[in-house]
Amino acid sequence: MAKPRILIFTAMASLGLAACGTSSPGGNANAPTKVQIAAEGPFTGDEASIGAGALRGIKLAVKDFNDKGGVHGTKVDLVIWDDNHKAQTATTLQAQGISDPTILGIVGPMNSSVVEASEPGLQSASPPLPFVTESASAIKVTDAGYGVAHRVNARDDKQAALDGQFMIDQGAKRVEVLDSATDYSRPLADAVQNYLKTKAPTIQVKRDSATNGQTNFSTVVTNMKAFNADWVFFADEGTETAPLVQQMKQATLQIGQNIQFLGTDGEDDPSIVTSSQGAYLGAYASNVTADPQSVSTAASFVSAYKSAYGSDAISQAGPFYGSAYAATQVLLQAIANSTVSNGKISRNDVLSHLGSDTFNTILGPIKYDNKGDVANVTIGIFQAKGTTASPQMASVKSVSG
Amino acid sequence: MDYFLQTFPQQLVNGLEAGSLYALIALGYTLVYGILEMLNFAHGDVFMVGGFLAAGVAGLFVHNGVAAVPAALVVILMVAVAMGGSGLLGVGIERIAYRPLRNANRLAPLITAIGISLLLESVVQVQISPAPVLVPSNALVSQRVLQLGNVATPFTGATLFIAALLLMVALDLFVFRTRFGSAMRATAQDREAATFMGIDVDRVIVVTFLIGSALAGIGGVLYGLRFATVDFFMGYLLGIKAFTAAVIGGIGNLRGAVVGGLLLGVLESFGGGFISSQYQDAFAFLALIVVLLVRPQGLFGQPLTDRA
Repeated sequence: MAKPRILIFTAMASLGLAACGTSSPGGNANAPTKVQIAAEGPFTGDEASIGAGALRGIKLAVKDFNDKGGVHGTKVDLVIWDDNHKAQTATTLQAQGISDPTILGIVGPMNSSVVEASEPGLQSASPPLPFVTESASAIKVTDAGYGVAHRVNARDDKQAALDGQFMIDQGAKRVEVLDSATDYSRPLADAVQNYLKTKAPTIQVKRDSATNGQTNFSTVVTNMKAFNADWVFFADEGTETAPLVQQMKQATLQIGQNIQFLGTDGEDDPSIVTSSQGAYLGAYASNVTADPQSVSTAASFVSAYKSAYGSDAISQAGPFYGSAYAATQVLLQAIANSTVSNGKISRNDVLSHLGSDTFNTILGPIKYDNKGDVANVTIGIFQAKGTTASPQMASVKSVSG
Repeated sequence: MDYFLQTFPQQLVNGLEAGSLYALIALGYTLVYGILEMLNFAHGDVFMVGGFLAAGVAGLFVHNGVAAVPAALVVILMVAVAMGGSGLLGVGIERIAYRPLRNANRLAPLITAIGISLLLESVVQVQISPAPVLVPSNALVSQRVLQLGNVATPFTGATLFIAALLLMVALDLFVFRTRFGSAMRATAQDREAATFMGIDVDRVIVVTFLIGSALAGIGGVLYGLRFATVDFFMGYLLGIKAFTAAVIGGIGNLRGAVVGGLLLGVLESFGGGFISSQYQDAFAFLALIVVLLVRPQGLFGQPLTDRA
């Protein structure tokens, strides 16, 4: 009789232990020992004003996720990589993530040029290091065929169509298309120029170029004036816009009066109104992501952002604070859905879940196609309004698709 | 052709304005090279520090677009602080980094200068601001646009041009018409012989750095007022272009630096306006290559055989 009793006792003990293993979060056998993600972007440097707001969004998303229990009870640690808008800095920082298997993914990088330089290294790492960018919109980011690439924002081809159509609808006749000679800016300006040429061949287009960091635009402004442009399209990451519009004003090209201005993502930034001493008021800027303030599912996020960072924090948040929160949600949900084995989560598994799962985010559900693009993204056009001291970007047009 | 005729005067004015800033900074390069035969690559960053000092003074006195004291007084203070601060910085750099290497291999001070340049950029980036800093020029100087026929230039642009020209004339008079200027020229010609003639060469070198750096400092103020912004990287490309201007003019020659700067500005402006704005920066360096091929000593430089 002794033997069956021992067997029953052993069986009961095993069942009990097994039950413990699948119980609620908090120090259980299924919890990973360490989970880290990296936030990468230009948190200092020429684009610090857009990077800072995005970083705040990421921090808030990690905090909210951890407050709800993290990954099976393990809190996620956020590592901050400030790439300074420089590809070389980015790859150096990423090398440390590649060698640390507990870093399971990156939210960012934010700039297309940095993403494009990073992709080969992230893909060839063993295992590959996936990323979800909140703002990189160049077509090549996902068209290059790297499986690690994912984004929550729209691509340049969608943005170019929105921009081109907006100018056509507004009655543009002579458009000065300007780029700032970066990997991001030039293809986007090309795409808008092609769109105008195809859809409205009667519109005359003049193409000019600035350089990254340029402050003296007198030559370009003279060209613009001689061309008698009624619209300026400037594909830029935001840094060069304030001196340009200010010098346009000094050359009597006043936005909203005798000329209209359409910028892109980085220029959907009210701080340009202040830095241009008011010359930017009235300018339009398109954005590859939705404004969280106009998305009903993001209402609680907007209030949480204000309560965390101050009631005026939204006006300084730049264009990507909402998409940064959403990108972090995507990455964290993919991690949470991955299998924990011996206290570890494999990056390969995270990558596979990024490709197959549907993620609930503040900007709506996200499901990736085989390139890492989202089928349905809301993008919009905003206008600089208010005063020099208290500017804002107000939503003018919103398109889904 | 119409387009060319219509924009030619405006592009000329644009080029002269940009060129006057190159020339002002080029003077610092050429002064130091004339005396020490060294390339002070940190000079562009001394200009940047001048811009930040001016922005700091403006930030102290301008709140919400309104100057707390008369605007003219703020501008005078900006000029004084930027010239003084940059001048002292230049002297400090010479004393700490260059003087100990005066008799070293020629590469040593060159590498040190590049190091100082990176150091200044990093310190300003980390300690002051990695992002561009606003200079509230609309609260300090007139934003009026001066119009003459088809040609328009903002008051700040015209001020930059006129102030730069006046400073260059003043420097020329100082070097060619004063006793100390004679000492500078003597030191430039033959440092050893100048010492034998009783010239305090160390003092001449200190004053040379002081003048060159102070000019860069006021260049920073003029730049800030014109473009309403300063950033830690602004001295890099501008410094390289000013150095190019000094080489085109004949490095070591003051009048050459002025002509080189103005020529470079105008070439850039014409190239960007009439050929392609996508290659605007490249025109400066193309001009350098052409001048060096045709006249290696620069437009106003002495051939090396004459100097020896």
